[in-house]
Formats: sequence, structure tokens, C-alpha cells
Amino acid sequence: MKPFELLEPHSLREAVAALEASDARPMSGGTAIMLMMKAGVLRPSRLVSLRKLQLAELEVASDGALRVGAMTTLRAIERSDVVRKGWPVIAKTLRTLSNVRVRNVATLGGHLAHGDPHMDLPPLLAALGATVTIAGAKGERTSSVEALYSGYLETTLKKGELITQVEIPALGKKRAAYLKCTTRSADDWPALGVAVVLDGDKPTIVVSAATDRPTRLASVEAAETLHIEGDLHGSAAYKKQLLRVFLKRAINEARNASH
Amino acid sequence: MKRATQATETPQVGRSVERLESWLKVTGKAEYVHNLRLPGMLYGKIFRSNVAHGRIKRIDTSAARALAGVHSVVTAAEIQKVIPEPYYGPAFHDQPILAVGKVRHVGEPVAVVLASDPHVAEEAVHLITAEYEELPAVYDEVEAMTSKAIVHDELKPAGTFPDLKHLKGRKNTNVALEFRLRRGNAEKAMKGAERVFEHRFRTQQVMHTPLEPLVSVAESTESTLTIHTASQSPSFVRIEIARLLGWPENRIRVRVPFLGGGFGAKLYIKLEALVSVLSLIARKPVKISLTMEEQFFTITKHASTFRIKSGVTKDGRIVARDCEVWWNGGAYADIGPRVTQKSGFTAPGPYDVQDVSIDSYALYTNLPPAGALRGFGIPQLVWAYESHTDLIARELGIDPVEFRRRNLLREGRPQATGTPMKDAALEKVLERLEVLMDWKKPFDRGEGTVRRGRGIAIGFKACIANTTSLAAVNINADGSVTVYTSCVDMGQGSDTAMAQIAAEVLHVATESVTVVHSDTDVTPFDMATLGSRSLFHSGNAVKLAAADALQKIVQLRKELSLSADTPVADVFKKKYGMRAGSVMGAGSFIPPYTPPDENGQTDNATPFWMVGASGVELEVDTETGRVKLTRLVNVADVGTPINPRVVETQLSGGAIMQLGFTLFEKMLFDAEGQLRNASLAEYKIPGFLDLPKEIVNEAVVAEQRNGPFGGKGVGETATFGVSPAIANAIHDAVGVRLTELPMNPEAVFMALQKK
Amino acid sequence: MRRTVQFRLNGEAVEAQVDSHETLVEVLQESFGLYGARESCGQGLCGCCTLLVDGTAVSGCLYLATLAEGREVVSIEGNTEPDAVQEAFVERSAFQCGFCTPGFVLMTRQLLDEHPDPDDDTIRHYLSGNLCRCAAYPEIIEAVKLAAQKRSKK
Repeated sequence: MKPFELLEPHSLREAVAALEASDARPMSGGTAIMLMMKAGVLRPSRLVSLRKLQLAELEVASDGALRVGAMTTLRAIERSDVVRKGWPVIAKTLRTLSNVRVRNVATLGGHLAHGDPHMDLPPLLAALGATVTIAGAKGERTSSVEALYSGYLETTLKKGELITQVEIPALGKKRAAYLKCTTRSADDWPALGVAVVLDGDKPTIVVSAATDRPTRLASVEAAETLHIEGDLHGSAAYKKQLLRVFLKRAINEARNASH
Repeated sequence: MKRATQATETPQVGRSVERLESWLKVTGKAEYVHNLRLPGMLYGKIFRSNVAHGRIKRIDTSAARALAGVHSVVTAAEIQKVIPEPYYGPAFHDQPILAVGKVRHVGEPVAVVLASDPHVAEEAVHLITAEYEELPAVYDEVEAMTSKAIVHDELKPAGTFPDLKHLKGRKNTNVALEFRLRRGNAEKAMKGAERVFEHRFRTQQVMHTPLEPLVSVAESTESTLTIHTASQSPSFVRIEIARLLGWPENRIRVRVPFLGGGFGAKLYIKLEALVSVLSLIARKPVKISLTMEEQFFTITKHASTFRIKSGVTKDGRIVARDCEVWWNGGAYADIGPRVTQKSGFTAPGPYDVQDVSIDSYALYTNLPPAGALRGFGIPQLVWAYESHTDLIARELGIDPVEFRRRNLLREGRPQATGTPMKDAALEKVLERLEVLMDWKKPFDRGEGTVRRGRGIAIGFKACIANTTSLAAVNINADGSVTVYTSCVDMGQGSDTAMAQIAAEVLHVATESVTVVHSDTDVTPFDMATLGSRSLFHSGNAVKLAAADALQKIVQLRKELSLSADTPVADVFKKKYGMRAGSVMGAGSFIPPYTPPDENGQTDNATPFWMVGASGVELEVDTETGRVKLTRLVNVADVGTPINPRVVETQLSGGAIMQLGFTLFEKMLFDAEGQLRNASLAEYKIPGFLDLPKEIVNEAVVAEQRNGPFGGKGVGETATFGVSPAIANAIHDAVGVRLTELPMNPEAVFMALQKK
Repeated sequence: MRRTVQFRLNGEAVEAQVDSHETLVEVLQESFGLYGARESCGQGLCGCCTLLVDGTAVSGCLYLATLAEGREVVSIEGNTEPDAVQEAFVERSAFQCGFCTPGFVLMTRQLLDEHPDPDDDTIRHYLSGNLCRCAAYPEIIEAVKLAAQKRSKK
């Protein structure tokens, strides 16, 4: 790795300003960034650590929505009683997301901002209708989680923008499930991730990992025409088969979800 | 922690003694070369080829040299000033220390940057550029037999194997070695057989991935060289470096502490020649520590193709076997030729067939070199012959266990080499497996989308021959015991085993014995720690050395007119007037051996056989092809276990490792020979969530009569039967037969679709 | 761009000169001679580099040393007296080559802090981010359970 400047701003404004510099990258948990820097894929001259920003609150709003500060670690979310009770599908998904050491430092904001389609929370949160608050030099804006992703490792976050908060609507009577399928060792990047949220009988389906970004399916039938590419996890034809099977299983699991 | 000199009558072998180095390992204090830092040391980072086959047109190191903090950049040109013929290898002197004129696989080392900061060295590597005139490449072992793409312009056998000398100077071939065995008349017997079956099986290239990646450090003066290296073969390293430098052996010292895993990766010459010559050029200590990724370009396991044909009677007796095996050796032979021959002769399996034909070829291809990996070719062979045997049994409607029972080699019967079987508990292992698998009970295969199946497989290995181990045992003035052996503890518990053996002879507690780690200035010659040979060979040497030391004490007591039960410390006191002196015992062990004739026939092919069988029960999710093992049973003949707990954990560990090779590990190359998954993120090895629900490991009651206290090796045994047992169980569950590894979910699913 | 980092290491206040790109594993080895945490896979997947920062297990090979400023770092060398986990690992022979062992010991302590009496499933999931190529996994499960017993007796 080549040397770089490391900044640790104390305020959001400082952080946004620091990110204006070309070739500057934000870092929260650091796991994804460090991997890319060690592999030589990223060679920023400036890293902006977001750890000192006070953005790790987790609370339920008056309308029952879950509000999570972007700097909340995945582990804190996994262990939160509030999340376990109100959004058990999230706690369950986190249990097999990477490993404990990663979840100890990785943050929700960093996880969502990375843009890797193999990640577990983007399709699930998209299916749950979650939204994010984004801060930038020009102020704040909101976006659905779904609209965050424009391509493989590409997000709609502009240079210098940071996710500050994630809001997940109350489940209410909805039932949700997320299933992922790994094709090599059990603990692996998934070949396929399927999130299903049932509102009565109406399913919201978001598929990821086999696609270049979390992708909503208009219907179960739409799976057949979904464009899938083959890769190290499996051929396109096989992943199509996995999609058929896991879609069915995810819908079943959602139907039987206690919440 | 004090370890008193405890004289004891308690037997030391057959005890599940806690490993001697336990506390060092759980406190993080165990020494590994990975941790070694020397004052003034330079780190070397390697610039590697990005083409699979090409002539080097130019290498531009100017930008790298100019980077601040870079000490120097070295290519073959600088190496050749110190070593004009810089080629090494245990079987062929075909591997250059740095690429000379040509590169033969992606990842081949071409240049090295030296710097005192490893990050600077790595930055500088990115500044080196090279141009190649690309040459046609070949990757498949069968294709390599006849391909016009020739990896080596000329073959260069090392001369260490007497039967390879005739290959010297041979050109225009990728066949490094052809092993041929003929016993009886397989062709005739095949023609006369009532049924004939033929199948083809394939295995893939995989990597050992020891968690301590390969690492070596060299420090030198004008006249001495010390190599600290993570190596399973320190004695060989010394011999080979001495040859390369033209130095006498006694000016080269090779030191090995603990290894963070070996599995065969850390053998012969890997980084040792490179760091040695770099430290002589730079006149400073040099360390090269590979990353996990770099290991994939350094040493791997042979991919293979095995065509096997059997002539069988209607009632299930195998009357003839014809075996043809192609081994994918990669760009450099390493120990491949030995795999081809010494494992090759077991290709027909542990069956009593007296009309046998084996042709086993070691091929060069433009892939990273293949060498020794736990099992040494046996798992690839068992994969084929136990899948094949199972298919025959099914076709004939004979129970798989019963079929094997009818054909297994019994004590005294000639194996394919003509060597009579001795102390190979094949029948006992099969019987025990049958019991542990509840094989006679009916088995519910299920009805829905998840089907269940079970399968068994049995394999064997001939310990390689013939090899030498020496050892020394010192009885110190206070009666404490020190063992000197160049056997290397890489986690298989060899330190503890050697201590147990010495302790048994000398009637002291194992825990009171010190085992000195490999240091070629101190510990005597040992062929290498490989192929499960050490318990038997090094153990026998230690036993002899301990007995020699004991004999000297007995003699001393007589000389001094002391009673037979005088404590050792008192004997020394009497002899030297104070606490002083010591007695050194030496042991040297090389078992008898008869080299094979031109038909591969010999009456003494091996000092001992290893026998390993596995049984599995599994579930197949027919919608996805995913296989889940519910039960894995491993049964072995290890002679008399010296340390039962270690035996159990070696069986377990070997089987779980083999699971990875069976179900998901595979090095994936594209059409240009570029490796696409050289990291643990994309090359997945077994973790906690991959374990079968239940694992049972058992060593049958047996004795290896020429082994130390009846014992023999176990490190590889549980790798033999796992893969075919799983294929057999899948066939049992869903009626499809997979003939290639790995049997990942897609492969299983595709086979189901074809059905 | 070397700067001074001040933190607590195994209970002592310390400081080190570090480059921005240096990781916690590198600094512990280079400046403090502590080799229990090792870089192996380099990707946070194997756990050989496990360290505790402010009581939480992290992958030391991905943790920039600069960010340890003001924090409490604990490594395998942090306890002078063997604890129940180490005893259990020795008694159950829950290691072979030992390279991954410090990482397993630290993760097991964390596991038992959170789940004093874990079942097989909990153990496997919690430790799924620690790899052992020697595959001492079954023995490690035994050791974790024994350690849980030992701890509950104290």
C-alpha cells in the first residue's frame, strides 16, 4: 500500500469538506476499503475516517419506523433488542453476514454505500422500503435504498456525499424473509440473495448477487427473463435455477414468519 | 513451567500425551519463520510473469530501482554471476531461481525488489515492466502428451533417481516421466473376462493454503550461510543449496522452528535458493514472505485424468485391471515424477488382481507447478478406482462392501508390484467400517426433493522407499533427555511422538524430554517430513538412538561397578567427580528395499502400507444439487497408535481437508492461463459451517511389526477414501455418477438434469 | 507521514511511531515484538490476526494502527496467567500447527462473554470467521464447551 493522508473529522461538515478533494475516500469500518487498498484496486491519497462523527443512534420513531445512524455497527444492530423484536429478519440476516470481527467494525452506512451486489442488507432493506438520508456540500437529500444502486460497485452517491441515517418502516402486518445461497464453502459471498416482503399476498421481491445490483422483480414470473451472468459462483443457467428455487423458498419462509 | 526429570515405569507410547508445545501455541509464543526479523534485514518482493508461456524480450527495472528506499532489484542475470546454472528440483534440475530467458506459467518469479521496508518493495514491484514474446501454451494433461506447445526445450533429470538418468537431454516432449508396470497379462485376461468395464475420472488443481504462507530468511558471510526456513525438508535444503553454490555442506546451516502448516507445500526448494543467493549478493539478511495469494503460483496439487478398465467375472471377481494415469505437473516437475511412480504403482487399488497393466505419465503444462500435497497422488487414484469399483458392484448387483471383501488383498498376497502384502489391515478396516456405518441395516433414501444416500470407499498407500532417517539422543548429567532429529513438527505432533518413543526406551516421562528442532548444524540427516514417513522412519531412528544411549549408561554402570538401579545422575557424578558430562546415543535407520525392474516388479516395494477407508451418509437437495454430509466415518490402520489422541485428530483433520478438495476447492484458470481465484475470498477452504453433522474416527487394532513399538504414519490416511465415498453416496441417493472433482452443487445439479 | 500514536496495549500505556498505511498487526510486531497476531489471508477471513480493540474483536490486518489512538488494545499476550480458554484448548488438543490458535482463543473468550453456555450451532456461527487449515474444528468445539464449564465453576 502506498502512504496516504488520514483525516478524522469531528463534524459532518468537516467530513464533507474533506471529501471534496479529488482522490479522497470515506472510511467507516474500514474493512471494504482496506481490502481494496491492499489489493491495489484503490490507491487514494486521502482517507477520511468517519468514526468520530456522532452518527450511531438507533431508535424507533413515533411512527414506528426504525432510525439507524449510518455509523452504527452491524453488530450493534444485530444485538439490538429493538431490532430483534421489530425487524427479526434483519437480525437473522446479520447472523451470517461476513463474520463477527467484520460486523464489529463495519457500519450500516458503509455497508450500503459500498455498492457490491453480493452484500446482504441492500436487497433486504430495498424490499422493506427503507430510505437513506444523504448529506453533501449542497445540503441534505433522501433516497430509497433501492435507488442507491446504479451498477456493479456503482452508487448514485455523488462525490463528497455521505449517508447519515437509514430509516426502515415498521413491518406492521408485513412478513419478510431473506435467503442467500452460497455455492462453495457455506461461509462465502453468495451466488444469489433473495429478499421477499409480503404485504398480505402481494410480494415485493428484490434479488441480488446474481445481478449487478439489487434488482426488483415485478413478479415471480419475471424471474425467468431476468438477465443473469455466470461467474465464479456458477453459470448463468445454474443461477437461474437457484433463483427459481430460492424465490419459492423465500416466499414460503416469509409466509411462515412469525412477525 | 518446570518439567522435572521423571524416571517412570509408566508406558509412554500408547498414551494420549498432551503435545509438548501446547502452551507455546495457545499463548502465541511458538516460533515461526513468519515472525523472524533480523537486524539490517531486507525484504524481498517478487515480480511475476503475467503470461503463461513466453520468451522474455526485456525487463525494465529502472523505475523500480529509482524509487526511494529500494536497495536493489535482481533478475536472473545477477543470479547467474553467483550461480551460473541456477536450476534446482528434487527430480529434475528444471526450475530456475528466477526466470532465465523464458517464463512457463503465470506467476513465475522474474525479478525481486529488495528494500528494508516491505511496503516500499511492493510499490517498486508495480514499477517493473516486462515484455514477452508469447508462445503457444498447453494446460490439459492429456493434451500435453501430444501437444506442439512444448514447455521445456530439453529435459534435465537431476540424477538423484537412478531410473531417470536415461531421460537426460531428451527434447520435444512434455512427458517428464513415463512409469510402466506389467504383471501377468492384463490384455489376455481382459479378453477372457465375462464382463468388462471402463471409466474415466478427473481431478482438479488445488492448493494446500497453509495459514503460515511460505517464508524463508537467509543470512550470510563470505564463507557461511544460515537459512531460516519454513521447510519440511531441512536436510534436503542443505544438500541442494550446497550443490548450487558449490560449497561443502558444513558451511550451510538450515534452521526450522515450528511450521504454521505444511501439508507438502513446504518441501524441497521453494524460496531457499532465492533468499540465499540474494543475501550473498546484497550482503545483508534477506526475507521473502509470500502472501496467501502468491502461494497459488508456487506449488499446488496435481490435477489428473485416470482411465481405468477392469475385467470381472459375473460373480464379482476382478480378473484384470488396466490403468492409465495422466498427471498434470505444471511448469516445473518438483516431486511430480515420484508421485507418478511411487503412487502410480497402487493405481489398481488394494485388490488381488494378478494381471495388471499400469501406465502413469508425468506431464509438463503451463500451469503453476504441482508437487506433494497430503496423500501424494493417492487421493486422485482412489477417487478413480473406488468410484470405478463401486460402479462395477452396482452393475453386477453386488453389495459394495461385499464386492470389496471378495477382492481385497490378503496378508501375503502379491500386490501389483509383486510385493507380498504385509501388516496392511485391509480386511479389518473394511469390516470395522461396515459395522460403524450400520451397513447391514436398511437405509431410508427419502422421497421428497431431498434424498439421502450412503457410500463407502477404501484406499491404500505404499510408504515411499527407500529413505533414511538418523537421530541422536543425549542423556544429560542430571539424567534429563534431549532428542535431536531433523523431523519437522508442522502440527502433526512429531515432537511429541519422538519424545514418547525416546521416553519409552529410557523409562522417563515424555513431558520431561526436550526435542531440539531442526538445525542442520546440530540435528542429523533426515530424508524429509513427508508422506507420513516420519513416525516410522524418524521414530525408528530415535528408538535406536535412545537404545544406544541407554546401552552406554548400562556399560558405564558396569565400568564403575555400580548397581543396575543406580540413578543416571549418580552415575555421571561418579564418573566425572561432579555433575558433568553426558552420553550421546546415535541411531540410523533405512529399511530394506528392492528397486523395481523394467516391469515395475519387486519383492520389496515399501517398508509399510497405509490403509484408510471412509463411509458417508449424506443428503442431496435435488432442486439445487447441494450436498450435505450427515455422517462421516473414517477408519484406518495406523499400526499401534503411539498417541491415540493425535491419531484421532490426524484422521479428522485429513478427512476434513479432503472434504474441501471434494466439494468445492478448485483453482480456476481462464483461457490464457490466468488464475482467477488466488485468494481466500475466492478460493474457499472448509470452515465450521462445512463440517458434517457427525464425524467418527477410529484406528483398528493392528501392529506394524517393523515400526517403532508397532506404529506407523497417519497424516495422509484419512484423505484416501473421502472423495469416492461421497460420489458413491450421491449415486446411492439420486442415481447420478459424477466423475470429476469438485462435486459442487452445480455439477450435481447438472448431472441430475442430464439423467 | 509518520505520526505518534498513543494507546493502551495489554494494560500498559504505550506509544509508537507509525505510517498511515501500517496496520495494527504490523505495529505490534515491529514496535512491540508481539507475534501472536499474524497476517495470513490478509482479507479478514481467517482470524489469525484477531486483536481486541476496546473489548471488541477486530481483524488486525485490516485495522489501521493510527486509528488505535486512545484505545485499549489487547492481544493474546495480554494475560500472564493462563485462562480457562487456554487450559481447555490444551486439554482438548484443540490445535495442530498452532498458527490460527491465538485468534481462536481471543474469539472464544468473546463468544463465552456473550454466550456463557453456547450450543453447537452458536459456536459454529460465532467462530465461522476463524479458519483452521489443519481442521482442528471438532476439537475446538470440545474446547469451547469445556472452557464454558470451567468458567462457570469459577
